[in-house]
Amino acid sequence: MATSVNGTVVDVQDLRKYYGQTRAVDGLSFIVEKGEIFGMLGPNGAGKTTTVEVLVGIRRRDSGTVSVLGMDPERQPTAVKDRIGVQLQTASMYPRLTVYEVVRLFCSFYSRCLEPAEVINRVELQEKARTQIKNLSGGQMQRLAIALAMVNDGDLVFLDEPTTGLDPQARRNLWDVVFSLKKSGKTVFLTTHYMDEAERLCDRVAVIDYGKIIAIGSPHDLIKDHFLERAVEFVQPALAGDARLSGLPGVTRVRGNGDRVTLYTTEVPATIAGLMELSEASGTPIKDITVRQATLEDVFLKLTGRRIRE
Amino acid sequence: MNTFVQLVIANIKEMARDRMALFWFLAFPVLFILLFGTVFSEDNDTASFSIGLVLEEPDPLGEALAQALGSIPSFNIVSGTHQDELHALEQGDRSLVIVLPAGLSRLLVEGGKAEIPIYYDATRQSSHVLLPVIGRVLDDAERRVTNTPRLFEPRPEAVQSVHLRQIDYLLPGILAMALMQLGLFGSLRLISLREQKILKRLGATPLPRGLLLGSEVTVRLVMALVQTTTIVVIGYLVFRVTVLGSWFGVVGLVLLGAATFVSLGYMLVSFAKSEESAHGIIQLVQFPMMFLSGIFFPVNMMPGFLRPVMKAMPLTYLADALRQVMTGAPPQYSLATDVTVLGAWLVVTFALGIRFFQWE
Repeated sequence: MATSVNGTVVDVQDLRKYYGQTRAVDGLSFIVEKGEIFGMLGPNGAGKTTTVEVLVGIRRRDSGTVSVLGMDPERQPTAVKDRIGVQLQTASMYPRLTVYEVVRLFCSFYSRCLEPAEVINRVELQEKARTQIKNLSGGQMQRLAIALAMVNDGDLVFLDEPTTGLDPQARRNLWDVVFSLKKSGKTVFLTTHYMDEAERLCDRVAVIDYGKIIAIGSPHDLIKDHFLERAVEFVQPALAGDARLSGLPGVTRVRGNGDRVTLYTTEVPATIAGLMELSEASGTPIKDITVRQATLEDVFLKLTGRRIRE
Repeated sequence: MNTFVQLVIANIKEMARDRMALFWFLAFPVLFILLFGTVFSEDNDTASFSIGLVLEEPDPLGEALAQALGSIPSFNIVSGTHQDELHALEQGDRSLVIVLPAGLSRLLVEGGKAEIPIYYDATRQSSHVLLPVIGRVLDDAERRVTNTPRLFEPRPEAVQSVHLRQIDYLLPGILAMALMQLGLFGSLRLISLREQKILKRLGATPLPRGLLLGSEVTVRLVMALVQTTTIVVIGYLVFRVTVLGSWFGVVGLVLLGAATFVSLGYMLVSFAKSEESAHGIIQLVQFPMMFLSGIFFPVNMMPGFLRPVMKAMPLTYLADALRQVMTGAPPQYSLATDVTVLGAWLVVTFALGIRFFQWE
């Protein structure tokens, strides 16, 4: 695919990083376009964090080429770091400084920086500006981490699992912050193992497993490419693994997961009618029938044979 | 420059808001000084002697003698009955008991000879000093009574000698100890920043590591000066320990000493995998150093086999140098030797620390 150089902010070709026998990143190639929210979706240990750490210049790669904002983060680490924003998965902050003090301190590290109070407002931490870090909740801590990623007004912001461990309300608040970053013209590179997060937030997603990209594209395209079907799900242990299920009208694939059975179908009404007949004939009542669109979860399941969180 | 100032300020704020750290940093050395200073502040020179005086009956001559004895500065005259004073002597509450017998004046007028019993404890060292003094007082009294002129007249001339009290020896040592602890334990902060992944987060900013390390060292040096001021002020207010040497010399030594121990601390913790193990390593080094560097006891009180160990320890030299400069204590080594050894420790540990410290 031809891409204008101006429009590409990250260009990774055949990136590899091994830890002993473990192939954490095993030949990744992808580009990130200016102004998009690019997601890297995969289970824990898939190589997401290692990729981020290589891109932001705090980890050396074994091989491959990496270009971030037109620079190699290994050769020009200071220049790259000055122009990107970073939120790391594991990082914490000086426990006895206040939110305002930490933001102001980080401000001083960069050649260019926003007004600390403004950054704090944008992540809605203004009421906690004078609170010491050690007294912040998990959600507030994550918002501070994102504030610190925004403080230098960088063109590209890396967020490594920004919502892990947060309650649903806090996650939604963080999504708003990410959208506001995109609205202000930033490019966002985020990793997540939440399917719904990737679907809702990302313009494009790279699905990654065992250090390799197994699918890449917009969430909509990924689902469309892999599933024209809808998913019909029900609970009936007696029918799980029944060969007759795949013979039902419209059914293209059958997935069992414990008591729950998922039928992917192009003809929802015909499939349900057939399923009812089958249930009556075998004398096994079916509970909890749900019909939904296929999700990235289904894509991941189809591509790897596993659910993303096991 | 702004970055550096901001880092130093942030660092100091963190420190000031940590009450526990503040205690170890400021209150602990002060408590040490007050404790040891009080225990060792008994000054032999100002010791006084309690002299029991028994007047068997009121007598003008007896009262004149009592007055003469009482005019000796370090004598504390206590009058009492024969029985009570002897009892007090047996209890160790009197150094001597002098008994002026009844009819003393009458006896002398009649040309007789008066025996004055002096009771003392033969096992006490002070008795042998006191007996001749009492004898001299009685001689003087006798000459006045008999009008015999003195042939030898002593003429005392006061000369101020260098007079070192225990606290003068201790205080610079405790300052050296405080600087050692500040430097060694201060290095734990870097490990703690590493463990909390704060170093990692800072690594993702353009902040150069050298600047970060520089700010840490600067904060330790500022703290060293604050600590020095506190200790010197407490020493002066409570124990009247005055700094004899130049302030310039003291500040210079304090900075050199603090830098040496900060550096040693970084070298020690560079081998540690976790904060706990770093803490252990530092304790292992600082504890023997505290007791073997002549801070609490002069080095020559130590058994010979420990001498080489003591000679290797940087604290020995810092304490020696501070004692010389601050209170004019007799030097163990020349000031040049002290400074050279400290400088060598600084350079070597700094190089090793830079080489081996693991940032991740």
